[in-house]
Amino acid sequence: MPLPAPLQTQRRWLRPCTWVYLAMLGLTLATFAIGVAGLGGLTVSLSVLGFALLKGQLVGDYFMGLKFVRGPWRWVIALWLLLPGALIGLAFTLASR
Amino acid sequence: MSVPAAIPVPIQATRYPPGDLAIWIFILAELGVFAAFFAAYAFARIGEVTLFNACQETLDRRAALINTLALITSSYFVVRAVAAIRVGRTRGCIGWLLAAIGMGFVFLVVKIAEYTHHFEAGVNLSTNTFYMFYLSLTFFHFMHVILGMVILAAVALKARRGAYSAAEHTGVETGASYWHMVDLVWLILFPLIYVMR
Repeated sequence: MPLPAPLQTQRRWLRPCTWVYLAMLGLTLATFAIGVAGLGGLTVSLSVLGFALLKGQLVGDYFMGLKFVRGPWRWVIALWLLLPGALIGLAFTLASR
Repeated sequence: MSVPAAIPVPIQATRYPPGDLAIWIFILAELGVFAAFFAAYAFARIGEVTLFNACQETLDRRAALINTLALITSSYFVVRAVAAIRVGRTRGCIGWLLAAIGMGFVFLVVKIAEYTHHFEAGVNLSTNTFYMFYLSLTFFHFMHVILGMVILAAVALKARRGAYSAAEHTGVETGASYWHMVDLVWLILFPLIYVMR
């Protein structure tokens, strides 16, 4: 028997959220592993920053539900991530010289 | 009689994000402040890279990992709470909200243990630039976790009184959006303070 429409909709929203949750756990463990291994340098730092920005975008798109928003609000988290992401990236690049 | 195949129901796109629009204005203001803090930390580090790297080694990355996992998990629990109320499952919604608050408590306990360790070692705001940023940034976020937990508790209480349904649950989405913002900020804070060097 097909599920009622509201349950179908919720299931279609929840399933990707569960995958996103698992992906974020994986990225967090990878970040932690880099930290305890004592890895440093610009490439490593920017990669870790990239993981964080990706996780942030996933939270915005899936957990906050912006993936289903049209218009300017759709990009509000992406734009916010871009701002500290670019500034932190620039500062770490300058510090590595 | 044959069973009809499930017809995929499209998820309706909206013009505005879930929850009250006012909370989104508030979220943007909060995110702006945190962005400024993050940039200030990163640029202050340029002149004192050796100091920042040495002090970073004194931080407990294991505690930070537990806290990150706690906040991500709590955010996922909040997603489940919203999903539950959207189909009218009030008890499920309350249960998920309480689970999310529980994860918030885990975060607070671990953070307090970290602060205690640092204060016992004689670290304070004026020790050096790194600790000034570490303590002020993480404490500012800590206060947001507490506020987020209060908001989630208020939403759970209202849900218990039957204030939300499948048709009207803006309050749950509003509280959820705020909590996700708290999680989002920590997702940047964790690598910036504890890992990037």
